[in-house]
Parts: sequence; structure tokens; C-alpha cells
Amino acid sequence: MRRLLFAAAALSLPAADFGAQVHPILNTRCGSCHGSAAPQGGLDLQTYAGVRRVVTPGNPDGSLLIQRVAGIKPPRMPLGGAPLPDSEIAVLREWIRDGAPAPSGGSVSKWQPSLNLAAPALPESSEPHPIDKFAFAYFRERKQPTPPEVSAAAFVRRAYFDLWGLPPSPADVRAFKDKGNDELVARLLGDNARYAAHWITFWNDLLRNDEGVVYHGDRKSITPWLKKALEDNLPYDQFVRALLNPEPKTGPEGFLTGVNWRGDVSASQIPVMQAAQNSAQVFLGVNLKCNSCHDSFISRWKLKDAYGLAAFFSDQPLKIHRCDIPTGEIAQAKFPYPELGGVDPQSPLAVRRAAAAKLFTQPENGRTRRTVVNRIWKQLMGRGLVDPPDDMDAEPWSPALLDWLASDFAAHGHDLKHLIRTIMTSRTYRLATDREPPAVPYVFRGPAPRRLSAEQFNDAISAITGEWRMLVPRTAGPAQYARDWQIKSSPLGRALGRPIRDQVVTTRLTAPTTLSSLELVNGSTLASLLRRGAQRLAGELPAAPPGLFDSGTMGNQKIAVDVDVAGVKKLWLVLEDVDSYDAARVQAGWAAAKFTGPKGEVALADLLKQRPVQWQFRGDKEPLPFVAVKTPTTLSVNISGKGFTRFQGFVGVNQACLASDINPRLRFFVFPDEPDFARLYAAGSDPPVPVPQPVKNRKALVRRLFEESFGRQASAEELRVAFEIARSTAGLEDLLWSLFLSPEFQYLP
Amino acid sequence: MNRRDFLTTLAAAGTASAAPEKIEPRADTLILLWMAGGMAQTETFDPKRYTAFEPGMDPNRVLSTFPAIDTVVDNIKISQGLEKIARVMDRGTLIRTYQAGDLGHILHARHQYHWHTGYAPPQSVASPHLGAWISKALGPRHPDVPAFIDVGQGLEIGAESDSLKAFHTAGCLGSEYGPFFVTNPMDAAAAVRPPAHIRHERFEKRYERYKRLIEASPELRERTSAEQESLKKSVDNAHRLLNSPAAKAFDLTLEPGASAARYGSSRFGQGCLLARRLAEAGARFIEVTTEYIPFRYWDTHENGHTRALDNKRLIDGPVSQLVLDLEERGLLNRTLIVIASEFGRDMMQEGKPDRPVKDQVTIPDRISEMKHYGMHRHFTEAGSVLLFGGGVKRGFLYGATADERPCKVVDKPVKIEDLHATLYHAMGIAPDYGVEVEKRPFYVTRDGKGRAIREIFS
Repeated sequence: MRRLLFAAAALSLPAADFGAQVHPILNTRCGSCHGSAAPQGGLDLQTYAGVRRVVTPGNPDGSLLIQRVAGIKPPRMPLGGAPLPDSEIAVLREWIRDGAPAPSGGSVSKWQPSLNLAAPALPESSEPHPIDKFAFAYFRERKQPTPPEVSAAAFVRRAYFDLWGLPPSPADVRAFKDKGNDELVARLLGDNARYAAHWITFWNDLLRNDEGVVYHGDRKSITPWLKKALEDNLPYDQFVRALLNPEPKTGPEGFLTGVNWRGDVSASQIPVMQAAQNSAQVFLGVNLKCNSCHDSFISRWKLKDAYGLAAFFSDQPLKIHRCDIPTGEIAQAKFPYPELGGVDPQSPLAVRRAAAAKLFTQPENGRTRRTVVNRIWKQLMGRGLVDPPDDMDAEPWSPALLDWLASDFAAHGHDLKHLIRTIMTSRTYRLATDREPPAVPYVFRGPAPRRLSAEQFNDAISAITGEWRMLVPRTAGPAQYARDWQIKSSPLGRALGRPIRDQVVTTRLTAPTTLSSLELVNGSTLASLLRRGAQRLAGELPAAPPGLFDSGTMGNQKIAVDVDVAGVKKLWLVLEDVDSYDAARVQAGWAAAKFTGPKGEVALADLLKQRPVQWQFRGDKEPLPFVAVKTPTTLSVNISGKGFTRFQGFVGVNQACLASDINPRLRFFVFPDEPDFARLYAAGSDPPVPVPQPVKNRKALVRRLFEESFGRQASAEELRVAFEIARSTAGLEDLLWSLFLSPEFQYLP
Repeated sequence: MNRRDFLTTLAAAGTASAAPEKIEPRADTLILLWMAGGMAQTETFDPKRYTAFEPGMDPNRVLSTFPAIDTVVDNIKISQGLEKIARVMDRGTLIRTYQAGDLGHILHARHQYHWHTGYAPPQSVASPHLGAWISKALGPRHPDVPAFIDVGQGLEIGAESDSLKAFHTAGCLGSEYGPFFVTNPMDAAAAVRPPAHIRHERFEKRYERYKRLIEASPELRERTSAEQESLKKSVDNAHRLLNSPAAKAFDLTLEPGASAARYGSSRFGQGCLLARRLAEAGARFIEVTTEYIPFRYWDTHENGHTRALDNKRLIDGPVSQLVLDLEERGLLNRTLIVIASEFGRDMMQEGKPDRPVKDQVTIPDRISEMKHYGMHRHFTEAGSVLLFGGGVKRGFLYGATADERPCKVVDKPVKIEDLHATLYHAMGIAPDYGVEVEKRPFYVTRDGKGRAIREIFS
């Protein structure tokens, strides 16, 4: 019975469609050799007529197409490429079994983007905004309902996260006047520092730039340049030119340098080949990775194309290698789109790099504009007009809109903020998120669901709780409040999709998984942040005493301590490890340390009833008595009522542990009271947004947290649950956790 | 194929290009015991002529600084200090001819990357860890036990931290495939316990109220996306995992005292105990490392002799105990234990005899101090890999190296793609299993061309 039901249900399915199902498979898998342009063996698998030559309708097993792709009759196709997945072979079989029917009315797409930008006319529409003219004409033509718009509060929330990477405060939401969309976008874009602090993450992913990473091999940060370029809103054509032809020293040389490791490297991954792959991928939406090793099996690109682009960046004759074996040829600089021009291959490096910078950005090169416009669209709308965004040969859902946006972007001086403003002031940007599973092939029905990035998530929590992390200086001096992008990646950040930037990342993997949610549920980073956040909001965070002494980060130095301890009851002596190679073997301590006062002096060791060890500072002639401590250690010394006025001595390490396999990197502190270990370093800057004041009225605090977390007021039912949760400070912490783990918080409205 | 079958196939098919060959798995679980830092093969599983320390000795004469000892297998001798492993050698296969990659000026983390992924960085695609591939191909064995568990490696170890992070990842497969980190095996339970300051009762209540709060949300009640549903589901899975009886496997305090004591009190020993418990509970892939920290454990740049002794003391008991415990529980047949390292070591040779690379340790012409006595250079020509259980032959020796320096491989060299193909073969995964990344195929072994060493399987 069940069988029958299944069969009946299946029978109601339409037959596999040539245009929608069969052609895309053959186009992707076979098109590079059996394409209409130069079909191998005269077999063109991009046309129905061509495909019919190798199928026997009704008999999949008897069809040459199936025999070849399934490996029944050698050679298996695609020749040298990956075999077709079973699921795709199944589609082909199904179509043949059904009699290999001709395309059903609709034309078979054979999208081939031109190099130039088209100048599409704006569709007739009552919508005033150009983007909406295209989008709403699209809905009309397809007889699709127009999706609703989100609320004003939801728009404000989107706008803040998209431009500053921070949530709006409840006051920001309330202050927003309906119809004031353009003003809000303009105001947020006008804050150069916050705009840059959010968008730098997008560019870091693309340009493989990261904070706090160390490699044994070449890798160079471009952060100072990139931050300034974003703050100054450097026009995109200049931006690309600077990356491809960087000024020595001051320019972003790290992009062309790439990510390199010590030792010998495969020919396809030497720095200039990385430069070719990355610049083609990032700026042109072209994948030259396969053909950096051999002619591509999946695209029209050949080995010589990758080497041709790499030769623009090479300071020496570049030997072509096929799968790591030299072919004996020297690469000649040749742009992937030679119709745009080229350069004399014999010209000096400076000339070739300048030529590359020009070829990538000259007006006739529409790809560079389309590619970046599509990336920004994806960033703001959740999915590109072309998706995946690295395959700019694929068909956009609205070619005219893409080209209009790209032309408009170019006409406005390649102004990225203009582009962002254009998208964000459209009604299309304000459409409700399309929460249905995407149609295949893709149909635009509104923005795709977007999860907060790791950086947005962490910064939003910091903004709401006031718990920002600090950047600790390498030497003495105050710490700086930091946005999440400035901190080197943590398990929490990685769980939420912050990538390891060894490769160009244009689409982060942010789908929730059990492992990533485990980090949210019992990971220590979030837990300790929320604990302190709740204490702060409840006004229970103990006031941290200012330090009396901070050695700064130190290795082999001998640093004197001499601090006033009059009136101190308990003195806290803190040793922190900064990044020693082998902290367990560091021999550090407080040397010749003593308290003095009117009644004379007492050695620290005597007070602690410890026997000092005789260690010697590097450069000293004699050893000194050390109170030796493990790294890290905190000593609290009770000096109450002893009348001491000064604590004097030295901090540092025994010279015997100055080997490279120990490499001490330490920091010593003295505090007159119990320190706040999360805040050992004094802050020397303002937090990114003002730290919220504690709220005594718990119900008012709960209401505020809802508004801050969701951009809306809590319902009566929510408040009832939330008040019950947040009775104690621990409960408040649990409420914070519940709000931040809510799908409503983690996904943009 | 009828329509119904066709629909089923589509539903089951992921992005993986299906392997044409069906391999019958011999093992359900793989435990990799990682000898981090380059384990000297001549001081462990491939002993050569022993030369005792004498002041003024010629370093060229020194091949092994320990005598060889007999094992329970007639034709296999190993190094003194591994007496307990010697007694279980009849349960395993010893490969003496692993040849590490030829990667130029040696960097541990880069060779470890190469060993763990099969690819040498830099790579244009983020290469998945062996454990992530296995997790992707086979999925979890038990729904509440993460498929890929990585035990003992801290990721903030100084200058090579980022190099380590680069391969302790599922890369292009996505974080779903691991790893689940247990940084300190001594406190493994912390990985599956609520945050330190939250008691269990509160933790449970927090989740109950979280669900009530979500139910109360007018926004989420109205409509949620598949992505939002999947967040809820993943948070639920996380709680289910933490509350599962299977999670008790992480709690080493539940192990009876006597059997815990047999693994010793070291981090590595407790890691091996944890691996046994996790294998019993249903983990798919477990790596336990002695931990890579530059210049520590097997990374012997000086005092090689005394440190090799320390390292052997560290592993001898736990490794043999793991074999015996799994055997006693009837699990050894279906669990493959692999003991491996990124390369071997030698007193004189850095890199390979035919292609030496830049030295990193100065060897004096005459050895006068003990600290110069030992295997201090990185040797990529030959290293040992020991396998137990999982369908490999018992008491079997594979491959041979020369008895005189430069102790080259003389029979049956094993490269990483073939070693990996062998491990995948044991797990029932074909060497050309792979996924499609950016439209191009990416395989578990380079170009899908690794060849399993069939000879070592029984």
C-alpha cells in the first residue's frame, strides 16, 4: 500500500527537463571541451541536437553519454576530470528513460557575459529608485508577488549592522523617523572610523589579511593601509591599483606577497602564482587555481593563462611548470582578457605591475566592476546577483541590474560608499528576508537569511554588556579597547565562521552545527564574557585598583621596582606570561625585593617565609636572591600594620633560562588591592561605544536588554519569562545567554 | 532505476563524488597517537648498532644511543625503553619506511600539516584534516559522540600557533566535521561540562528557560528560516550531547582507579585512557598527541639520548595498555591504532641523504658532553609507523632501512598518499573519495591516487 502511494506521488512529477536539469549538468561538466565554441570531436553538448547524437531515447544504458560518464565504456568522461556524482548521472538517466524530450518551450541558457558593461535602460516603473525599477519589473514579469517590507526598527537594525557592525541602541531606534532611510544611511556612512571597523573584516577575508598571525615564511600585514583606505573611502579603481602595484614600504605589499611557508613550495603556489590566482579570483571572479598546475578540466583556462598573469608580478624569468615539472618555457606576461591590451613581456617589473594595475581597472574592463558590485550586493543582501560570487561567468538573476549597478558605480568614481548607499536606500534592501528554501534554479524573492558574522556577534555582545576586550601593547603603556576584528581569532570566533585566512574567503561557512553551538553553550570565552557582563550591568563588578607598577612586556631585562605602599594592607605581586615559548621552564621572580619603613626593612622572602634562590640577571656580575615564582603566579603579601612605606627590588629572569627554546616573554605588576585579572592593564582609549551604566531596577534593565538585543520591545509573555530568569545576577547572566543564543539575535531581521 | 529509487538516491547524494569501488571496512574507529616533534626511529622502532657514550667520540659512529631489545615477534627488535610495547608487538604491524615529504628547509608544523592532510601548504584550498575526512565520509558512530576528537594539542604554543591552526580544521568541508578539541586530557570532562562557574542544575534550567523564551517570541513564532531552525536544532544537539550518557566517556574520574593507574599520570597517558573510553563510547576518529611545542617532547635538538628515554617512558605504558585494553574488550579488531610522527631523526643528516637541507643543529666534531649525544637533526628519509588492530597483520614487519648511515630505505618505501590510502582503506574509504570545491575535485589522497598497502592487511 505504502509502495503504491509513493509511486503515485512520484508519477505526478514532471519529466526531467532538458533546459532546467540536463543542460546545466552538461554545460558545467562537459562544456569546457564539448562547448559550442570549439567542440572536441565535433560533439557539442551545449545544444539539444548535439546531445541527441549520443543518447538513445528510452535506453540509458545503451546511450553513449551514460556509458562514458558512468565509466561503463572507457574512456570515462570527463577525461581527466572528476567523475560525475551519482546524483547527476541519475538525472541524465532519468531524462533519457523518459525519451530524452526536447527543451520545454523555455530557451536554453547559454550565458556568456561580455567584457564591457552594457548600458541597460531603466525599466518602466513607478518605483523611483533605479534598483527597485529592475527588481519590481522582475517580480512583475515573473508574476511573483512583491515581498513585504520590514518594519522601521528592523531596517535600522540592518543598517547599523551593515555599516558599523554594531546593533543600534534603543534610543537610535526610537530617534529614527520613518521615511528617514536616506538620512540614516548617510549618517552611518559618514562615520568613517566605524564604517572602516566593520567593513575591514569583509576585505580581510578577501585579501587574506589577519591580525596576530605569525608564519615562518613571508607574510605581511596590510592592516594600516587597508584601514586608512576604508576610512578615506579610497576609490575602488585606485584601491585595486594600489594592491596590484603597491608603493614600496607604505603600500599594501602583503597582498602580492601572499601567504608563504618556510621551505620549498609547489610551483603552482610560489608567491607570483598566488598573486595571479588571488587577483583573478578577488577582482575578476575568475578561478585560475586548476590551471596554475595544468590546463583546466572544468573551464576554458589554460596553464599559460595563469602563468601569463603571474608574469606581470615576477621579478625574474618565470619558468612554466606543469604539475611541478618544468616545461622548458618561460612565461610571457599576458592578461587573461588580451582584448583589453597587454604589456611588452620584456619590460621591467615596475612597468609590468603598472600595466597589470591598469588592465584590471581600465574602463573597458567591466568584469572588475561587476565582480565587486556583486560582492557588495551579496554582503548586503545575503546572496549575490551572481552566486557563488567567484564564478562571474555564471548568469546573474538580473543581468541588467548587475550591469546598471556596475556602470553607476564606475560613473560615480568607483565610490564604494556610493554603491553601498545606492543598495541600502532601495526598497529592495528593505524587503523581508526570504525564509523559504531557495528555488532551483534561483529566483529572487528578497534578501537571503544572514547570520551575524563572528565579529558582529562579539561586538554586539560587547556593546550591550560593556565588556570589550583589550589590545595589550608589546611594551609598557596602557591597553586599547578593541573591536573583535583586531583580536586574533579565538575558538569562539572560529566556531562562528571567522576563517583562517590562508586562502581567499569570499563566502564564510556560518551554518550552525552541533560543534559550533557547543562553543556557544559551554565554551569558556562566551561564558566568562557574559558573567562579567551581568556583573557590570548589575553594578556588581568590583572596582579594580589602579596598578602601582607595570614592567611592560619583557624578556631578558632587569627592571627596578620602587613603589609607595604606605597604607596598603595587602600587596598583590602578579607575574603574567605574555607569550613565552616554554613558560614552564621560565625562571622568573622578584629579586632583592624588600619592604622598608620607619621600623627598618624586611626582605620579601622573609615575609613569605621562603628561602630565596641565587639567580643572576644577564649582564650582572653577581647573583641576587630571588623569590622564585612559577609563570604565571600571583602572590598576595599581607603587610597590614607593619608600617612599610616602600616596596623595592627588581623583576626579571635568571640568565640560565634565556635559551631560544624557553624564550621568556613576561609582564610583572604590583597592585595595592586585589586586581581585576581581566583588566590588569589600564585603558588608554575610549571604548568603541559608551559602556552602559548599571541599572538598579532589574525590570527596567530586562526591558532594555530586549530592545538592545532584538531592536524591539519584549512582549508581555517574554517579560514574564525573562523576569523569572533574571532575578539574581547569575540569572541575569543566563538571560543574556538566552538572548544572544536566540535565532532572532543571531540572524538579521 | 525506477523513480522511487531515483528520488532516494538524490536525497542521499551529497556533494561527494561517489567512489566507484566499495571497500569493506575493517575498522570502525581510528586512534592516531601522534609523536609530535619528529620521533627518532633509531631510538624507538628501528634500532641500529648501539654505541655507548664516551667522551671524545666521533658522532658519525653513533646510529642508536640505546641497545636493541627483543620483542615477542622473532624478526622484530625495537629500542630499549619500549619493553611493554615489545610484549604486544604480536598484535601489530610495524612499517619502517615512511618517507616524509621533501619540503625543503624543515618546519615541524609544515610537515605535520602535510602528514595530517596529505597536502603541503600553502594550498589554494583549505585542506581538511584526516579526521575531518573520515568524519565526512563515515559520519559519527554514535549520535552523541563527536566523530572527530582531537586530544592534547594546545593551539597557542608560540610562533608556530597559526601553522598548527591551519591544519587542525575541517577546512573546506566545514566545521561540522570537527575537530572537537580536548586540549587537556587531564580535564577532559570540562569539554562536556557546563562552564566552570555554572552548576548542572542551573545549566539545565537555563536551557529550559531559553526554550520558553523562544516560544514566547512573537517574531520567531511568526516565521523562521531554515537557518534559524537549524540554529535551534544545533543548540539542542549540543545540550543533548552534553547530557548524553555517552558524554561520561570524557570523565576520567569515572574510570576505576586501578585501570586508570595503568595509563600513568602523564597528559599523554591520560589521553590514551580517554581515547579508549571514547572509542568504547562510539567516537569515529581520535587523535592523542604527546603535544607539539617547539623544542619539547620528540623535538630533540639537544640531550637527545636522555630525552628519548623520557619520551619512551611517556609512551611505552600507555600505548601498550591501550592495545591490551581494547583487546580485552573485544574492540581491537575493529579499532585501528596508528603511532606516527612527522619524520624521523638522525645524528648527522638533515633532510634526505640525496637532498640535504639547511642544518638547524650544530654537531661538534667530537662529542664530549652528554647533551650532544642523541638524534638532533630532522631526518625525512625514513621514519617508523606502528599499527595495531583494525584488520592489520599481527606481528608483521613491513619495509627495511639500511643498517649503516645514512640508513636509507632499502625496501618498500611508503609515501604519505599511500600511508593515508592504507588508513582510509582500513576504514572503508577509497583513495579517490572526495568532494567538489569551487567546481574542482578534491580527494582524500593527492589526485585520488594513493594506493593502500594491501600486504599489511590480514
